[in-house]
Order: sequence, then C-alpha cells, then structure tokens
Amino acid sequence: MRITNNMLINNMMHNLSNNLTRTQKYQYQLATGKKIRLPSDDPIVAAKALKLRTDVSEIQQFKRNTDDAINWMDITESTLNQITELVHRMREITNQAANGTNTAEDVEKIKAEAEHLKKQLIDLANITYAGRYIFSGFKTDKPLLDENGNFNIAVSNSEQIRFEIGIGDDIDVNVPGSDLFNGGMNANSGDKSNFVKVFDDVIAAMESDDKTQLSSLLADIDDQIENLLRVRAGLGARRNRVELTANRLDDDLVSFTNLMSKNEDVDMAEAIMNLQNEANVYMASLATSAKVIQPSLVDFLK
Amino acid sequence: MNNTTYMAMEIALRGLYTAQRGMANVAHNVDNVNTPGYSRQVLDQRAARPLLVANSAGMLGMGSDIVSVDRMRDTFLDEKYRSEAQYLGEWEIKAFIIEEMQTIYNEPSDNGYTKIISDFYSALQNLSTDPSNLSIRAMVKEKGIAVAKYFNSVAAHFDHLQEELNNMVYAKVQEINSLADQIRDLNLQIYNYEVMGNKANDLRDRRDYLVDRLSRLVNISAYEVETGLKLPNGEPEKRFMVTISGKALVDHGDVVHLKCERRTQKLNFEDIENLFEVSWEDGNVIHIKSGELRAYLDMRDGNDGLVGLNGEKSPNVKGIPYYQRKMNEFVQVFARTFNEGIIDIDGDGALDKINGHVDGYTVTSRPGDLPGGIRFFTMLGSDGKPLSSADFEAIILDYADKNGIADDPSTEYDERLLAGYSLITARNFSISFDIEDNPSNNIAASSAPGEPGNNENLKILIGMRHNPYMFMEGMPEDFIKTLISSMGVDGQQYVQSYEIQKAILNQVDNRRQSISGVSLNEEMVNLVKYQQIYGAAAKMIQTYSEVLDILINRLGI
Repeated sequence: MRITNNMLINNMMHNLSNNLTRTQKYQYQLATGKKIRLPSDDPIVAAKALKLRTDVSEIQQFKRNTDDAINWMDITESTLNQITELVHRMREITNQAANGTNTAEDVEKIKAEAEHLKKQLIDLANITYAGRYIFSGFKTDKPLLDENGNFNIAVSNSEQIRFEIGIGDDIDVNVPGSDLFNGGMNANSGDKSNFVKVFDDVIAAMESDDKTQLSSLLADIDDQIENLLRVRAGLGARRNRVELTANRLDDDLVSFTNLMSKNEDVDMAEAIMNLQNEANVYMASLATSAKVIQPSLVDFLK
Repeated sequence: MNNTTYMAMEIALRGLYTAQRGMANVAHNVDNVNTPGYSRQVLDQRAARPLLVANSAGMLGMGSDIVSVDRMRDTFLDEKYRSEAQYLGEWEIKAFIIEEMQTIYNEPSDNGYTKIISDFYSALQNLSTDPSNLSIRAMVKEKGIAVAKYFNSVAAHFDHLQEELNNMVYAKVQEINSLADQIRDLNLQIYNYEVMGNKANDLRDRRDYLVDRLSRLVNISAYEVETGLKLPNGEPEKRFMVTISGKALVDHGDVVHLKCERRTQKLNFEDIENLFEVSWEDGNVIHIKSGELRAYLDMRDGNDGLVGLNGEKSPNVKGIPYYQRKMNEFVQVFARTFNEGIIDIDGDGALDKINGHVDGYTVTSRPGDLPGGIRFFTMLGSDGKPLSSADFEAIILDYADKNGIADDPSTEYDERLLAGYSLITARNFSISFDIEDNPSNNIAASSAPGEPGNNENLKILIGMRHNPYMFMEGMPEDFIKTLISSMGVDGQQYVQSYEIQKAILNQVDNRRQSISGVSLNEEMVNLVKYQQIYGAAAKMIQTYSEVLDILINRLGI
C-alpha cells in the first residue's frame, strides 16, 4: 500500500483523539469519583443508580419516622410510668384511709392528697409532646379531659396515629385516651372518664369516711392498674418493634449506601492505573508521531 | 538523408521542456499537499512521435513529450465514502443531541428527578408524623412547587432544544442548496473545459470535495451519465448528476432546491408551533433517509412512530416529542392519582377510586364538614399563575362537556375528571393556588373532619408512591427510571454507531488517500529525477553546441 504524508497525519490525529477521549473519561472518573457521566455511558449502572438513590432516601426517611415514633412513645411511656406511680400511691392512701384507727383529721389530710392526685392524673392525661396532646387521639389540638375529669372531646380506640416505618409497614405510636382513661371503651365528649371516676368515688368515700366503701373501692383501683399494665405492655411491645426496625434500618442504610457506592463510584486504584496507562500511551504516541511525521526526503536533500 | 543539423538540439530542448513540466507538476502537488479534496496529479509522459527514416532503417526517436496530466482518483472509493459518510453525519448529530437531552434530565445526580420526588415524599412523610405542624406544611408546599418546577423546566428545555433543532433543519437545508448551486456552477465550468478534450483535474477535485460534504448532510448518489451525444473530440458527452432518493438535486446545469415551509398543522401534539417542513421546491415530497438532516428531523419530530395530528406517521425514533409526551403522561397520571385518587389499585387493569387529596379534610374543618375538595396539583392558567382547585375543576368539566364526555355511573370514578386531566402538560403543571396560598390549612392530611392529628389521608397519598399499577412502567420512580434508561440505551447505541462509522470512514478515507494523497518523498524523488534530466538535457545542448562550433568555426575554410 502506498502511504502518503496525510495518511500518517490522519491516522495520528485519529489515534491521538481516541486516546484523549479515553484519558478524558478516566480523568472525569477521578475528578468526580463516579463511573458514569451520562446514562448512555452505561444505562444499566444509571438505572440501578436511580433505584438505589430512591431506596436510600426512603430508608433515611423511615429512619426519621422511627426516631419520631420513638420520641413520641418515650413521652407516652414516661407519662404512663408517672400514672402508674400515682395510682399506686392512690391505692396506698385508700388502704390507709380504710384503716379504722385513723382520726377524722387524718382522713381529711388523706383526702387532700387524694384530690391532689386526681388533679395530677388529669394533668397527665393532658400532657403534650411538641404542642400535641398525646392522649387525644386525632384531635391533638385539644386537651383530653376537662378539670373535672370529663372527656373534653370524643375519642375512640380507632384513633391510632400510624407512622410508616417501612414500605407498607405501619406502627401505632399513640395511646388513645379512651383506651387508658376509659377502660378501653370509646368515649364521647362530656362522658366521665372511668379512671377519674374511681378517684372521685374514693374521694367521696373519704369525705363520708365510709371505710367499707373505701375497702371495696380498692378492687376498682386494681382494675385501673390492670388496665394501665395492659396499655403499658402493648406500648412496650410496639416500642420494641420500632427499636428493632430502627436497628434494621441502620443496617439497611449501610448496605444500600454500600451498594450505591459499588454501583456508581469509581474504583480509584483502577482509575488511576487506567489514567496512567493512557498517559503512557499518549506520551508514546506523541513521541513516535513526532519522529514519523516530521522528516521527509526534503530534509535530506542538499 | 533525414538527419538535419539541429535535430539533436531539438530533442534536447524537448527534454528540457519535459523536465520543466515535471518540476512544475511537482511544485503543484507539493503546494496542494494540504488542500482538502486534492488528488495528486501525474504526467502522462511518452516518447515523442518518431521520425521515419527514409532508408528503412527504422524509426528515429524524437525525445519525450507530455500528453496529458491526470489526477489519481478511484471513483469506487468515492462512492464508498459517500455511502458511509451519510451515516456518519446522522449518528454524529444524533449522539450529540441525545447527550444534550440526557443533560436536561440531569440523572444520575443529586439534583435530578429522583432527588426532587424523594424530597417531596420525605416532606409528606414528615408531615404524616406531625400533621398539624405549620412549618412542615410550608415545606410540603415548597417541595410540591419543586416537583412542578422540575417538570416545567425540563419541558421548557426540551422546547428550546426543539426550536434549536428546527433552526438547524433550516440551516442544513440552506447548506444543501448552496452546495447544490456550487456543484452546478462547477458542472458548467468542467463541461466547458472538457468539451475540447482537456481534463479539468482541479475543478473535478473541487466538485468531488463538495459532493463529499453534501454526502454527510443527506443521502445522495452522484454519478456521471452519458447523454448519447459525442463531444468534438469523439468522447461521449457526460452530465453530472446528484440525486436524493432518486430525484435529481443537481442535473448538470439544473438545480432543484429544497425548501422549508412552516407547518400550519403540528405533526405531534407536543411540538412547538411553526416547525419547518422540508420539501422539494417544485412541491414534491422528499424522502430523506439519512445524513445530518435526517438526524435533525428525527430528533425534532421522533415520537416513536406515533401517527401525528396531520395523519402522518412521526419518525420511528425517540426524539423530543416522545419524551415530552412521556413527561405529560407522567404529570397527568401523577396529578390525577394524587388529587382524585383515581388509580388502578389492585392491578386488574381497570381504574378504581380511592381517597385522594380532594377527599381529605383540612386543619380547620369542623366535625360534620364535607371533605375539603381541594386539589393539590393543578396547572398554570393563561396568565401564568396557578389555577385554584375550583377554577381547574370548572375548566375540566367544560372540556369534558365540549368533548361530549359524561359521567358513567357504573364506574367508581367520574369520567369527566379522567378526561380533563389530559389538559395538564409538563409545561403547565403546577401546584394549585389553594395550596400555594394557604398550605397551613389546605393540605388535606386528615380522613375525618376536625381531627388535626389525623394523618390517614396523607398516608393513602404516600402509599400511592408504591403502587406498581400507577403507570404501565410501574411506580412513579420506575416510570422515570424507564424513561432515562431507554434514553441511555439509545444514546449508547448512537455513540457506538458513530464510533463504528468513524472507523469505517477513516479506513475508506485512508484507502483514498493511499491513491490520491501526495507523498512528499515521492515528489522529492521526482524533483531530483527531473532536475537530473534537466541537467542532462542542458548538457546535451552544451555538447551539441560545441559540436556545431567545431563544424562551423574550426573546420578551417
């Protein structure tokens, strides 16, 4: 084949430009840390990248939701804890008041404490978390009980606030006031909370210093303690589940972020090696081209 | 006796002339080493017509003569080059355009569609954990605006790109016409030179070069046809023709231009107004099969082979209208699902009605109130401002009315709404005025009136994100993923085809260069050769002049 000067130059330019294109690719990879610049560089990597990004962002969101759920449940739990202590104290003083050796003055003092406990119970029923009444079901903008212990709003057991902590995986974060303060029965606005009613009965019995009545009311208090324990057990189980989910989400986040990185991040060592390789080829091709295209017979004719 | 006194002198003189012509030819070749399209020229050198010797001793040589100057060119390779160049032009432009289209989507990145839609759902999720929180409500509104703006911006970029491609169609048609005119002019010049039997080498080079350029723009064939007549020198008369899909663009001295006319009716619903339609100037329909012009037309008009508004089939390519159509489809279904809850929830292929944003209750609703009836997404009105939910509904119902669509009571949903959502496009997609104006109240998170802590309706809206029957392609994310990967696959194919075509063309061009290219070494060898011959011929003259000197001056009289 006859080889002409322009063929040499064309081939050289063609090869140098191919070489530079590859160099540019590796340089881009190193500069950004990403394998691809456009979906067309590798459509499969691109499609996977989109999917993994969605997955990672969802996991992050679910993690935020579990954190919120845990916070809400912690507040509920500590409130339930206080209520438990409070109702135990109530039982204790009721027992004390039922004791025949107390003077009328003693009972009067005990009654004062009982009234105080009742007020405290109502306060606890109206506790808020970030401005929301946690026992008010969906009516988080309104307190559950009025000062007499009557329901301020209608609350039903179905008013479960659910947080999504996984795709299609919901958790009830709240304890509707009806469940705790009405012995598990739906309450209408104006109804007397049957929890508070027990306290009222106790206070009334103290008022009349009816010792038999006080003794018999102990069973009612025990019923409320029973109900409280049931609610706490339910909440504890759910909190456990959220905790487990939170741990799993942590693991998922690590593994999905890893997958994402594996999918789209460049292997630095490999890219550096490739770039170095291309640079060597480039230098070599420049050096040989410089030798080949410069001289012709023109340089040697004297 | 034929041996005249000065014959040797005459022969030597011819040697001088030949050498001079040779050197001039070397100079011409060397000068044009870098001239695009130049083919090297060689001299057809022969022994001059000999002298018949009377005593039948044979022929007496009369030195050398240059009969013609020929260009070294292989027309087969020219044809090969042109048939490949049309595809190079096409793939190069397509690869370039699809790169730009991919940049518009900006995926995969941390600020493309995936990020924006994830952010929107994250805000909704945050709201679901605290439905009455006003700052989160404001955030949901902002993220909703971001979703709408993303689609507006992508659609606007596509519009802009379509406009650019349209201008390029016009520019390319002008370029084709201009090349055709130049080729016609050269045809006439070449004909005039060659009619007397000369060879218009440099003009032919120029013409071939122009045809090469033309071959990148559009599918052409270029050939010489014999007219059947004879030139004065006995050679057959030839005319040079350039055809596009069989119809002559240039026929010797005649040119039929291409023309661009603005379409009165759009081809695709998604097109911008007034795109150019390319046709022959004489009104005939043109079939452009390949080349840069085809690439521009394909990417500008390609709607995956869908039959357009004017009844013609769009190019079977995923071009700008295709992606606009898919984006429109996305916003229509997304808005309809989110607003109305009209969606195929169970995958039976029929649409169902579940709760949507319209069925939710606002923060300030009182027990006993009706659902808020507020649509989260509407569209921009003619004044460029978001329509309120009520205005949007009026427009939808009006549209349904005009198109004779009525509610079919046997279905769970209202057919009129379904039809009306086709008014939303990626260009005018927007959140509703109600949400923009008062997100604190109007985002309907609750499934019952008077319950600010109720997130049930919100959770239904969020749940739609994972409905695999929302689109044929699946969930909202799948839809865009499919769109972007199909664009990626096309782009990859265009780039690969371009690379392959480049390699093929490079190889063909090398073969052409191998024949037609100027080799400096060769020219230098020729130069030295002719220089030596010139010297030798001059020496002949000197020697013969000495001989004559002896004959005339020394032969003492």
